[in-house]
Amino acid sequence: MTLDLIVAQLFTGVALGAVFVLLSTGLSVIFGMLGVVNFAHGAFYMTGAYAGVFVLALTGNFWIALVAVPVLIGVMGLGVERFLIRPLYGRGQDYPLLLTFGLGYVLIEVVRILFGTDGMPFETPPLLSGGLDIEGLGYFPAYRLFVIAMTAALMLGLWILLERTRYGLIIRGAARDPEILSVLGVDTRKVFLLVFGLGTGLAALAGLLAAPMRSVNPEMGVAVLIEAFVVTVIGGMGSLLGGAVAGMLVGIVVSMTALWMPEMSEISMFALMALVLLVRPHGLFGRGALAR
Amino acid sequence: MTRDIAAARIMPSGADWSATAQRWRVPLLTVALAALPWIVPSQALAVNILIFGLYATGFNLLFGFAGMLSFGHAAFFGAGAYGAGIALARYGVGWFGAIAIGVAVAGVLALLIGALSIRSRGIYFSMVTLALAQLVYYVAFQATDWTGGENGLRGLTVSVIHIGPLALNFLDPVTKYYVILVFVVAALYAISRLLNAPFGAAMEAVRENESRAAAIGYDVKRIKLIAFTLSGLVCGLAGTLDALHLSIVPIDTLFYQTSGLAVMMVLLGGSGTFLGPFVGAAIFLLIEDVFSIWTPHWQLFVGIVFILAVLFLPRGVWGTLAAWHKRRSA
Amino acid sequence: MTGPVLVAEHIGKRFGGFTALDDVSVSFEAGQLTAIIGPNGAGKSTFFSLLSGAVAPTSGRIRFEGADVAGQPHHRFTRMGIARSYQITSLFPQLTAHENVRLACQAIHASARGGLWRDRAHYPGLAEEADSTLALVGLLARRGRPAASLAHGEQRALEIAVALASRPKLLLLDEPTAGMSPEETKEMMDLIARLASERTVLLVEHKMKMVMGLADRIVVLHQGKLLAAGTPDAIRTDADVRRVYLGEGRSGRG
Repeated sequence: MTLDLIVAQLFTGVALGAVFVLLSTGLSVIFGMLGVVNFAHGAFYMTGAYAGVFVLALTGNFWIALVAVPVLIGVMGLGVERFLIRPLYGRGQDYPLLLTFGLGYVLIEVVRILFGTDGMPFETPPLLSGGLDIEGLGYFPAYRLFVIAMTAALMLGLWILLERTRYGLIIRGAARDPEILSVLGVDTRKVFLLVFGLGTGLAALAGLLAAPMRSVNPEMGVAVLIEAFVVTVIGGMGSLLGGAVAGMLVGIVVSMTALWMPEMSEISMFALMALVLLVRPHGLFGRGALAR
Repeated sequence: MTRDIAAARIMPSGADWSATAQRWRVPLLTVALAALPWIVPSQALAVNILIFGLYATGFNLLFGFAGMLSFGHAAFFGAGAYGAGIALARYGVGWFGAIAIGVAVAGVLALLIGALSIRSRGIYFSMVTLALAQLVYYVAFQATDWTGGENGLRGLTVSVIHIGPLALNFLDPVTKYYVILVFVVAALYAISRLLNAPFGAAMEAVRENESRAAAIGYDVKRIKLIAFTLSGLVCGLAGTLDALHLSIVPIDTLFYQTSGLAVMMVLLGGSGTFLGPFVGAAIFLLIEDVFSIWTPHWQLFVGIVFILAVLFLPRGVWGTLAAWHKRRSA
Repeated sequence: MTGPVLVAEHIGKRFGGFTALDDVSVSFEAGQLTAIIGPNGAGKSTFFSLLSGAVAPTSGRIRFEGADVAGQPHHRFTRMGIARSYQITSLFPQLTAHENVRLACQAIHASARGGLWRDRAHYPGLAEEADSTLALVGLLARRGRPAASLAHGEQRALEIAVALASRPKLLLLDEPTAGMSPEETKEMMDLIARLASERTVLLVEHKMKMVMGLADRIVVLHQGKLLAAGTPDAIRTDADVRRVYLGEGRSGRG
């Protein structure tokens, strides 16, 4: 086992982790604000990849897709919140969860009807098809560097939005106590709407970014949903930092296991989760109250 | 005070109808299920309603009565199927022994997954059960020597069933249906007893108000673990019956979709009701049966019907009917 | 006097960096009605949760009938004979009034609690016990109604009935008259007086007049600490209590 092989695999793990981070962040903000576990999150991820296929076929430009896909799917998320989830507030946490579960079912089938049941190729954008060769360390594909940088920039932006702006104050307030905000004259319904749109947009972006690295097919969201849950459980529900740390951790653990025991790579993240649960039932950064 | 009590006793109440219904629910369901093969379009559909109705009933025991939304019950259905299948195909165990082994494997697995997942509550519990069940799936996927991996487990055809001097032809669909029915009815009887027993009341207390249940003296963790394990046993039995019925165990038996199946069936029929899971299983499988004839995308319709049920019929079809009747007679 | 039923020895509770209760020692005599009072945020609820076993203390000991019970799970407290009611009604909303109380009766009978097979109706005595408890709080006529459909006052009464059904030696009542009309408050006070004649009762209450007329003994908490304990008359004249509690808003400019 040479050093550059290990470094290459570590790098792959970080890129994979970046996708996990985006996914679990979307899941986490939606849960944090709305108290909704979005079981359609994987389906939005998959829809993002297919929306990418569609926009790319239309324009031939990856960069347009990079902007258009999160916006398109985010707007779709707005509609879902407004017409399907909003009627269920106040009926307990199980009903929105069940609704999004059914929605996932429908989205997969719609994509199968529109794009067929087979997988689709997704070319790496020409500008990013090269790589960085560092003597003695190995070769780093440019696209993966881009995904990592993009995720880091987004997380930084999100952190600034949440911690340093008035909007962030409102969002964090809404998460803690929706009633106080309505007293202050802030429309919590609008906050919920926008946050759900933001979360689904992030899921779609994750799907688009993952498309050139993982295969595009209607079922791609199912496994990813479960992976995102594992990351969220490890990191702690409702914790952005937890999601980021756990996302990276899971990405690295999965790809490092693949290096030594390829047949165990999928199992490793679940073993990690079981271990974390035994030691910290609310996840690494989770607060007990949120698990209720 | 005593006279007061006596007076309250003879006062007519809406509970009369539901008490009668409760007493006759197992015989009624037995009759309905016995007639099923002659009502629905095909024998195959009838067997599926039987098996998945039991599977949904096992899931409902946990979700409908103890209030715990598990998204990992495929693990117990699959453990039953693989347990029985491996006993049959790899070790040449008889059919009855295979069923016992399958149920036992599912029970042990439920005890393990339950012990780990009841440490978390609410939606966190849903995610943990889902993830742990997926772990079971990947393990079965990799353990090809035992499970056949991706290709599923084959070679477990049971053609004749011996009961004492009796030799029944298990390849005959009608015979097979009624053999399976015997197991389903036995399980339903046990579940009905359980729900009427003090433990059934304790589960409802945990569902309705966990902290108050602890405050009046219930060991909530213990009740949850027992409920989880019993639920796993019932789903395991459904799995063993499915393995005997299909003569193979596809790897998908353990997948996320199978867990979702129980959730959808119970919601459609009515969670927390005794007959709801069978009604839900029948609706789901009928939609599949009818729509899959003219489109491969029948899941679209199942998904839409499910969404509509969550939005407009949260008690499910049977639950809504029962509540409506209760209101009218009250 | 038969000696203390419950003794709190230097108990305290910290939540992260916040000390909700600090080094409180009180003993509760058998057969007495003790009221716990104090301004908002004095630590009454925390104290109550510790004594009832809902929350474990971070320091100190709780002795019930001589044995240290601090840190035991909540259900053990109840089975030993400590039961509580809740300030914010906490019932089993979809179950009938009868079933709410019957569940509590069932829980303290080890032979009935976890039965998996025999019908719950066939356990002798439980249903009768539940009905007589309902009769005690005047709810027998409502026995078949779901708890959620009862009026507020009735829910408060059911709340007490569920706690009573545990047959506690020590009954903890958390603001039993919260949100009640004067008429309902009067009835509840009569009920509490009756209950207190047969068992040890501990009461958290805001309504001072009610407490002064009812309690044998009063414990005053202030900022998480024990301020005073004694008879209503002694508390009325206690200088510390007058300063921080009774005299609030009146003495300042004096």
